[in-house]
Amino acid sequence: MPEVLVVDDSKVMREMVVACLRPYPDSRFTQASSGLEAIEQLTLKAYDLLVLDLNMPDIGGIEVVEFVRGQDQLRSLPIIIVTTRGDEASRERALQAGASLFMTKPFTPDSLQGAARSLLEKAPAKALDEAPRG
Amino acid sequence: MTAPGEFAEFLPAYLAEVDELLASAQRDLLAVEEAVRRGALQPRAVRELFRALHTIKGLSAMVDVEPIVSLAHWMEASLRVADQAGGRLPESSVEPLVEGLRAIEQRVRQLGAGKPASPAPANLLERLEALGPQVVDAAPRKARAVVLDAEAAFASRLAPSEREQLEGGLADGQRAVRLDFVPSAERAAKGLNINTVREGVARHGDIVKVLPLSGAAAGGASLAFALLLLTSAEDAVLLDVVGGAPATVRSLAAAAPVAPDAASPAPVPTDSALGTPVFEEELEEPEVRRGGGLLRVEVSRLDEAMEWLAALVVNRSRLTRAVAALTAAGAPTRELATILQENGRQLRDLRSAILRLRMVRMGDVLERLPLLVRGLRRTTGKAVRLELEVGDAELDKAVADRLMPALVHLVRNAVDHALELPEERVSAGKPPEGLVRLGCHARSSGQLEITLRDDGRGVDAKAVAKAANAPVPESADGLLDLLCRPGLSTRQEATRTSGRGMGMDIVRRIVVEQLGGELRMETRKGVGTTFTLRVPLTVTLVDAIVFECAGLKYAVAVGTVEELIDVDALKVVRPAGADGLGLVERRGAAVPLVSLERLLERTAPAQAAGACGTKALIVRQRGEPVAFAVDRLLGQQEIVLRPLEDPLVRVPGVAGATDLGDGQPTLVLDLGALGAARVGRGVGAAQSGGWAS
Repeated sequence: MPEVLVVDDSKVMREMVVACLRPYPDSRFTQASSGLEAIEQLTLKAYDLLVLDLNMPDIGGIEVVEFVRGQDQLRSLPIIIVTTRGDEASRERALQAGASLFMTKPFTPDSLQGAARSLLEKAPAKALDEAPRG
Repeated sequence: MTAPGEFAEFLPAYLAEVDELLASAQRDLLAVEEAVRRGALQPRAVRELFRALHTIKGLSAMVDVEPIVSLAHWMEASLRVADQAGGRLPESSVEPLVEGLRAIEQRVRQLGAGKPASPAPANLLERLEALGPQVVDAAPRKARAVVLDAEAAFASRLAPSEREQLEGGLADGQRAVRLDFVPSAERAAKGLNINTVREGVARHGDIVKVLPLSGAAAGGASLAFALLLLTSAEDAVLLDVVGGAPATVRSLAAAAPVAPDAASPAPVPTDSALGTPVFEEELEEPEVRRGGGLLRVEVSRLDEAMEWLAALVVNRSRLTRAVAALTAAGAPTRELATILQENGRQLRDLRSAILRLRMVRMGDVLERLPLLVRGLRRTTGKAVRLELEVGDAELDKAVADRLMPALVHLVRNAVDHALELPEERVSAGKPPEGLVRLGCHARSSGQLEITLRDDGRGVDAKAVAKAANAPVPESADGLLDLLCRPGLSTRQEATRTSGRGMGMDIVRRIVVEQLGGELRMETRKGVGTTFTLRVPLTVTLVDAIVFECAGLKYAVAVGTVEELIDVDALKVVRPAGADGLGLVERRGAAVPLVSLERLLERTAPAQAAGACGTKALIVRQRGEPVAFAVDRLLGQQEIVLRPLEDPLVRVPGVAGATDLGDGQPTLVLDLGALGAARVGRGVGAAQSGGWAS
């Protein structure tokens, strides 16, 4: 059962993302409305996928990605960036920081679901859960 | 682009969120304009405005509202430049931005009304686009004698404006501290997380920045948040807010001030900086987003709660009757009676709690007025100051929605008609700037009193009398009556701002007829005019079917009507001697058909004998359907139900009165109760022909 963390300061946007991914088998969703909240969530619970906005009120998505990639147990967490800023520089910067995929709003439900599927099905599940066992 | 309709189901939620964003954007833009006029900076408002438009753009792209995407895009672009310049916005940008917000708002309204959004005006888009690359002069930054402890403050991770804020606070004698909060699952379970911590800390100071720190926390935790803030609170207070140890507080002031040249001027955007996109994390905002503790609820859900409560109340009265029967039978019911009494109190408390949920703050309701006055200042060329003194007064959302157009009209009137031009005012010995003052006070009688005062020229009774072709009224009330005559205007031509709007007659209709309130006016020539509105804090809204019977309109609550049927006069069976009481067939069963016309005694019995409406409303009375024949159905609408307070007017079968917008009072019938009168008198009465009296 994949655990998905959806981070966006817009509630409607979070709900749209959840609606797009809900058909993915048995996924469970947690929502966060800011970058700091996302970082807190990520250290408290294991997630299989992070869907992240770039422009948020406290710390931005890039900084969240940098934080995530700086953590040993989060290094392989798949991250999909979903943003209104579709310019090449933003994309490059996000991918360089360690984002797995970069999507521009507006996106279609199919494209987001396809992206999630491709990441979830090749990613090792729940690094945090497995760490003690392994 | 998104295939249309993929996110169509999100449209209501989208509209609600954009509405909220627009309201905060308008507040921020007014703050920015005010600052621009004073030559000051409002970096936080500029950033908030930028972020609101960025979010609006993204959301609008998702639901495929292209005109709003374009408008928001160009507005966002110009604000990004201003944000990079530390909140410096050229004065010439304000007006196009105001128009842009208005254009977005119009399109949101269109979508809300089920219409497509009209295309963005090309000339407005051009003007917004032109705002983009303007370079603004940066004010030189003051060199400060105080300096931050660079290591403690993570100086390298601070934006120049954040650093400036911390140093400025220190220079002004505030404490600049770093408070480290360590989150944990246990703390999160107790409601202590970064969001609640930020809210709590914000009550004791200004949070300038929050940084996540990994692997560095005390107690072996993998994460800590460093909150950099300006405060006057004691360490112990701050530690308490973040749940105590392992949290720490340390000062950000450097041990010894160093040379002020460390504070280099803030970088000013150059052309090359404008050409390259800025990354989002550079647009950080330390402030907790506004409205965090608020929840948006559809009014219909509150109504639903109210309906369940009504069911509870009905049940309670059944319980009371059952207990009374037990008591009469000699059972020991003392304890039951006490519980019932308590239960009654709780139901009343629950009712008022639900009613309170519908209340909105007048301060929020009126937040668009400053923007309105700003627009009027421009179109009329008058200098106006708007003062709002609303305190914490609250009003039912339904009342507020109806009242707002009336208030907008009165404010427009005040600026457009009542206030004089600056030179005229000066020659009359007044300050050049006119004053419009709106005050709200809750009255103990369950009413809100709103006063709107201007210090303009006052109402010219003679001119009004002449325009109305009536004698000059002797009292203020008489003058108000004349002003409220439909179509009255003392102007030769409609003015640009007030001319095509509603007249005073509509204001009075809203306040007096729709809301059951009062409208008064006091005016003194050359001194000014005060309108006083009193409206009930809450009203009862009912979904009603409106119909016509014997030339008059009536309304009946939709919830009480089981079915609407067509009545074929030829198929109505009229048993001999029933005197107008017929039978109609509905799905194989005979249903008594009552002529509402006769029930209401609108016509003489002789004429009514053969008359029959073409439609009938079926209402259930003690489990049995009864059909009420009416002449014509006019439709369904939401009405404000005003109970008939006067005991002389109160009659069974009449729930109250309403105003359908035509200025005529319309009776709201309770057909169940009307039917009860009929059934209560039995068949014998019907046979004698007396049941309709």
